[in-house]
Amino acid sequence: MATRVDTLEPVPAPERPPERRLPPREWARENLFGTGFDTFLTIVFGLVAAWLVYRLGRFVLVDARWEIIERNITNLMVSRFPRDELWRVWGALLVLAASLGLGAGTTAAMRRREVEEGRANSPQRATALRRAGPALVLVSVLLWFAQSLQATLLTIAVGVVGIGAFMFGRRLSLQPRHAALVVLGGIVLAFGVVTAFDGVGWEDWGGFMLTVVLAVGGILLAFPFGVLLALGRRSTLPAVRVVCVAYIELFRGVPLIAVLFMGAFMIGFLLPPGVDRPSLVTRALIALVLFTAAYVAEIVRGGLQGVPAGQVEAAQALGLSPVRITTRIVLPQALRNVIPGLVGQFISLYKDTSLVAIIGLTELLNVSRNITAQPDFLAQGLIVETLLFASFVYWTGAYWMSRESQRLERRLGLGER
Amino acid sequence: MNAQNGKRMIELVEVSKWFGDFQALKAVDLAVDLQEVVVVCGPSGSGKSTMIRCINRLEKHDRGRIVVDGIELSDDLKKIQEIRREVGMVFQQFNLFPHLSVLENVTLAPRQVRRWNKAKANEKAMEHLRRVRIPEQAHKYPLQLSGGQQQRVAIARALAMEPKIMLFDEPTSALDPEMIKEVLDVMEELAESGMTMIVVTHEMGFARAVADRMVFMAEGEIVEAGPPEHFFTSPEEERTKQFLDQIL
Repeated sequence: MATRVDTLEPVPAPERPPERRLPPREWARENLFGTGFDTFLTIVFGLVAAWLVYRLGRFVLVDARWEIIERNITNLMVSRFPRDELWRVWGALLVLAASLGLGAGTTAAMRRREVEEGRANSPQRATALRRAGPALVLVSVLLWFAQSLQATLLTIAVGVVGIGAFMFGRRLSLQPRHAALVVLGGIVLAFGVVTAFDGVGWEDWGGFMLTVVLAVGGILLAFPFGVLLALGRRSTLPAVRVVCVAYIELFRGVPLIAVLFMGAFMIGFLLPPGVDRPSLVTRALIALVLFTAAYVAEIVRGGLQGVPAGQVEAAQALGLSPVRITTRIVLPQALRNVIPGLVGQFISLYKDTSLVAIIGLTELLNVSRNITAQPDFLAQGLIVETLLFASFVYWTGAYWMSRESQRLERRLGLGER
Repeated sequence: MNAQNGKRMIELVEVSKWFGDFQALKAVDLAVDLQEVVVVCGPSGSGKSTMIRCINRLEKHDRGRIVVDGIELSDDLKKIQEIRREVGMVFQQFNLFPHLSVLENVTLAPRQVRRWNKAKANEKAMEHLRRVRIPEQAHKYPLQLSGGQQQRVAIARALAMEPKIMLFDEPTSALDPEMIKEVLDVMEELAESGMTMIVVTHEMGFARAVADRMVFMAEGEIVEAGPPEHFFTSPEEERTKQFLDQIL
């Protein structure tokens, strides 16, 4: 009759399985030279890999003429952005560092509370450095090419402000809602610092800066839009459903380049007379968002299908309204399950921003190509150097996103066996 | 724990329900009074779950009337919500929200639907978690708990809305044998405290101990209903006898 009473620590630490860690020699023998065929493959691929690394390393370190990057680093970063207004970009970076740092600090404080309450495992040590790794490498390389004391000092200032804001945010322990507002406000303010008071409208933005703005703006807008489309596709209202399905199928069936061209040339026609046509950058962003949202919608729909019907029933039985069931129960689970797909789509968008070159915008890749036509560098085959550089910049960003998404998955997966 | 309190809490009048061409409920009549505990049993596919799922509109009945605590169930979403606030439900598969901690599972509906503030909701939630004997698991996530613990959290979650009626849809069918008792104990206490309950279950020991009335269903109909003493010892219908022979 006695009911089992649970205690906080019901199970004593179990015996651990025997550890199996081989010394390097043993490991190599087992994994690389197990059979004759293994040995053959190891040697062949080892030689090929060594050759490629040698050639690439030699090119990057010895043969390449990086002068073209050094002289054009500002072009690559901001393209035709007026040089005497560059302080605005630095100002915006400082604002962003402050607000994002504060946001990250708030998250860290929340996380620490969760750990203290025993709801989450304590984070691994030294993750901060590892997480910032790709960004640090990118910044170091950029500063190396810039060879400018001023840029270095300003970068350090941005870093210091960011870290300071992070510490402050951790102490302050804001409500997540307020922190989100601070971050959003920071982004708007940063935008204002660049554009307001006779600033530089974003039709004059270019280079890596434009790449980042298009990618971040595209992600921030395409994500909610895509989620709405996915929900609409499952709506019980036939009209909503038909419109969403038509939209999704239409935009998934058209190449991005076509959408960009249409954005560039057709948005003007669609607007009522008297309304000014938005700038080319705006139109490019609209095209990217319209296109990406259709893909996001299908990814999210997959996630929605993965949420068991019992979840909705339980929420209904509790008397939650349909809107709350969607926002509190269904979406959090659905989105968590599709993080890999979503991030894949966002990385895709980040790289596809290079396509806006074809409607005449000078983002990173376009600048990389254009600078090889400068009189000093014309017809010297320097496209390899510039493409390598651009690829490296793209890669660090994409790799960073990929790593952060894995982190997010692990973190949200906590509590799931 | 007696059926003579008079106040009618649930009334089903000639309720029919179809899934496509299959008739799951055939003009079912059932009335449950305040503080009455009704245990429903019957072979699978007999419409037991469908019947109680109609009571809080997880399934829509196609014909007949359902009145819960004086509110007639219709397509009016407001009325449906009103009824759902008064009716708690516990599922076979627990259906806890895996992305929320135990405490958040229990406080979600009171905060969102009853508009309680966080402090009040938390305090009440802890009360209910103590009642189901797992207050120390409040900050864990559902999937870190055993099946029996999860089902007890699910009961606490339903109770947190302070419902007048509790529906149990085979609450122990998905549990390992050694965990069934801890859930049944909690349900028994709930019944003793005077909760109006409809329980779909095959736990006949529990039914004998707790039920005011047994209902046996087969093929979408209520075949036999009556007090447990009578029901278990001298059932009147042949089909009831056969069923009891099989499971007892």
